[in-house]
Amino acid sequence: MDFTINTGGQAGQGIDTIGDLISQVFIKTGFYVHVLKDFESRIRGGYNFNQIRVSDSPIYAATDKVDLIIAMTKDAIIEQRSRLTEGGVIIFDDRIEFDDLESCHLSVPLEKTAKEVGGSTRMTNAAALGAALAVLQFPFKLVVNALTAKFERKGEKVVASNVAVAKALYDLTTEQFSGTCSQNLSSVKKGPSKDLLFINGNRALALGAMASNVKWISAYPMSPSTQVFQDIVSQAHKLRIGTLQAEDELSAITMGLGASFAGARSFVTTSGGGFSLMVEALGLAAITETPIVIYNAQRPGPATGLPTRTEQSDLLFMAHASQGEFPRILLAPKDPVEGFEVATRAFNLADKFQVPVMILGDQYYADSMMNIPRLDVTGVNVDRGSIATEGPDPEYLRYKLTKDGVSPRAFPGDAGKTVVNSGNVHLENGHITENPDLRNAMVEKLMKKVPHILKTLNPPTIYGKKIADITLLTWGSTWGSVYEVVNLLNAEGVSINQLHFCDVYPLRTTTLKTVFKKAKKVVAVEQNATSQFARLVRMETGLSVGHHINKYDGRQMTAQWVMTQLKEAGIA
Amino acid sequence: MITVEELEGKQAITWCTGCGNFGILAALKKAVIELDVPRHEILLVSGIGCSSKAPHYINLNMFHTLHGRAIPVATGAHLVNPDLKVIVNTGDGDGLGEGFSHYIHAARRNVNLAVFIHNNGVMGLTKGQFSPAAQRGYVSITSPPPGAPMWPINPVALAIAGGATYVARGFSGNQKDLVTLMVEAVQHRGFAVVDILQPCQTWNRKLTWKFYNERAYSLQEEGHDPTNKMLALEKSFEFGDRIPVGLFYRSKLPDLASGLALPKDSRLRDHETDRALLQQVVNDLIL
Repeated sequence: MDFTINTGGQAGQGIDTIGDLISQVFIKTGFYVHVLKDFESRIRGGYNFNQIRVSDSPIYAATDKVDLIIAMTKDAIIEQRSRLTEGGVIIFDDRIEFDDLESCHLSVPLEKTAKEVGGSTRMTNAAALGAALAVLQFPFKLVVNALTAKFERKGEKVVASNVAVAKALYDLTTEQFSGTCSQNLSSVKKGPSKDLLFINGNRALALGAMASNVKWISAYPMSPSTQVFQDIVSQAHKLRIGTLQAEDELSAITMGLGASFAGARSFVTTSGGGFSLMVEALGLAAITETPIVIYNAQRPGPATGLPTRTEQSDLLFMAHASQGEFPRILLAPKDPVEGFEVATRAFNLADKFQVPVMILGDQYYADSMMNIPRLDVTGVNVDRGSIATEGPDPEYLRYKLTKDGVSPRAFPGDAGKTVVNSGNVHLENGHITENPDLRNAMVEKLMKKVPHILKTLNPPTIYGKKIADITLLTWGSTWGSVYEVVNLLNAEGVSINQLHFCDVYPLRTTTLKTVFKKAKKVVAVEQNATSQFARLVRMETGLSVGHHINKYDGRQMTAQWVMTQLKEAGIA
Repeated sequence: MITVEELEGKQAITWCTGCGNFGILAALKKAVIELDVPRHEILLVSGIGCSSKAPHYINLNMFHTLHGRAIPVATGAHLVNPDLKVIVNTGDGDGLGEGFSHYIHAARRNVNLAVFIHNNGVMGLTKGQFSPAAQRGYVSITSPPPGAPMWPINPVALAIAGGATYVARGFSGNQKDLVTLMVEAVQHRGFAVVDILQPCQTWNRKLTWKFYNERAYSLQEEGHDPTNKMLALEKSFEFGDRIPVGLFYRSKLPDLASGLALPKDSRLRDHETDRALLQQVVNDLIL
């Protein structure tokens, strides 16, 4: 069982709350859910949708096809109906004037019932849920349990009103809907789920950062990254975290560097445009060896680009941003579970190597929601790296030359030590020098870290058989769709696997070299126009990827889309 | 008590002979001694330019940052460890050009920093171009005759209007008063600015020692009331035959730190998030 519900309408119509409620009911009743959020850069109006994929086995990505459309506006019907599967159904609010009716269409009073039965149009989500589940012939008793669990914290009255609204639409739809939906859930066997979170990549990162003892975050709001900042701000009073909305991104990151210099784990969040402003300070972080974690939720550029849409086009920019040469670490989580883990690693890596660590998400990673097991924040390991021994040390050297390039940190305020940081090339004591030998020593100090970083980073993962004729090369959030392709094509007997990178830079090359030797075709599948990861691979290994699949319309690739591309290119 | 010997810089000074920065550095050393706090609790943060080399010439914690970015770096360090006395050394090119938006936003936040503007009306280190504080008509390599086609920025007026709660002007040639203003600025809780007039011997032929010596007068000696904001603003526009020096404006308002979620009995730098509380946040998200 694997089907997709699309709920669409204008911004401000509560499309997310409809999507959330439907998703939560399916998760509560034991299903796997993945939700894609598609919206425009505006506060009211336009056309937005939630696309909810539901399955009885694990799912990791969105699909192209839709089985049930719940429309709050005419656009939400027109824009989606070409994607409707055979036997699919469209339910729409009866205020919509739409006369191009087909048998699979059903007009029902969603808002009206919410108001009349529940007393508020805010319960339109319960109405939509009732209608949707009736079409799917989903047992109402399970809905009651799920709604009760969801709303019981808000009191009996809220539970009762929501159940009543859902029931009213459930009954009305059962009575009026004469067609048959391709999906019939009347005999679902799933039991209630326990201990599941329904979260997106942004929230997982925020939780991971807080679990890692982040003590400072400064940011300027920018889609699609803003939620991470907001999530941490919302817990700041409870957990005691310094947070500040800065006047711009350069101020945000320089505040972060000041905070880190003074001893706190620091985090800044932005998207590509904001990162462009931060670049000046990236170099300062590097030369002063001040740890910082930077999150870039990528969106299509350049300039404003598509503010609320997705792309993986900042990889090479982030790998090479700033004048000068220095080590940095780039991590690209594939989904919320990995996002939490990446956040915790990012802070440890930043402290351990005293380098900037950048987390590359994108709008699809940031906003897509799925059910994941409860996150355990209590067991997160916090490693602050090399810290100078406590107590007076008049000879303390912030940039002491060491074997591995890492010097013990002290912080301003430490009794008996003087901490000197400079963005100029400096002596071991932190003061300025223009001496060529010391310049060499300081460059080499930074570069010495790279082999140690490479040893610490995670190697890429091969999904599917270790050796295959075709290898799909991926990184970051495109993992889910491509993983699905591998499974589908393996089932068809095609010899294909996936080589996936989370830790993208510095690049670990051993597995890559083996794969290039063994596979007949290596195909880069990327959500950008220029195959940036494939270019990085060539730069670091000299190996050229022979085939490229690129998507750059701002909408995340699906398994179906990738398969079509593979077939059209004669690859598989 | 910090001794002069302890403050002896570790680096040879690179300023030109006769530079106004020498007076500022001397006053800074005296102010630090007068402050009478442990040496490790003082932090100097600077931007880029002749002004911003000052921290290298006095033996204290320091962060020599980027052009214009000293204030946000200082803000982060201060909030993470409010025990630190954080002083920003900046120039007019640095803090009032590249860094101007940070300056005005820091004033509005009333963040507890002391900002010393080494104001010489010229871009010294890049060899004499006109700066944001250059007089209209100032002739330089990038402002050939008839000279700079714009009026100078007014850091005192802008600080007062922006929300700073301690705003003063010092003169590198008047050590005694400058030390007093520096000490007061550091001790003041909130955003404190001392705009320090200093000649650039090498490049600025107009704003010279003589120019300032003939014009500078003490606001305090004339009985100026620093609690009167409008009067302070009015005084801040006086810059001609007479140039007021001293405290323009002082008020008491909550500072930035008091409005943030900082730990009540420790500092962010030492604070550890209560994992059990965070786990509760996660558990509340469970469906």
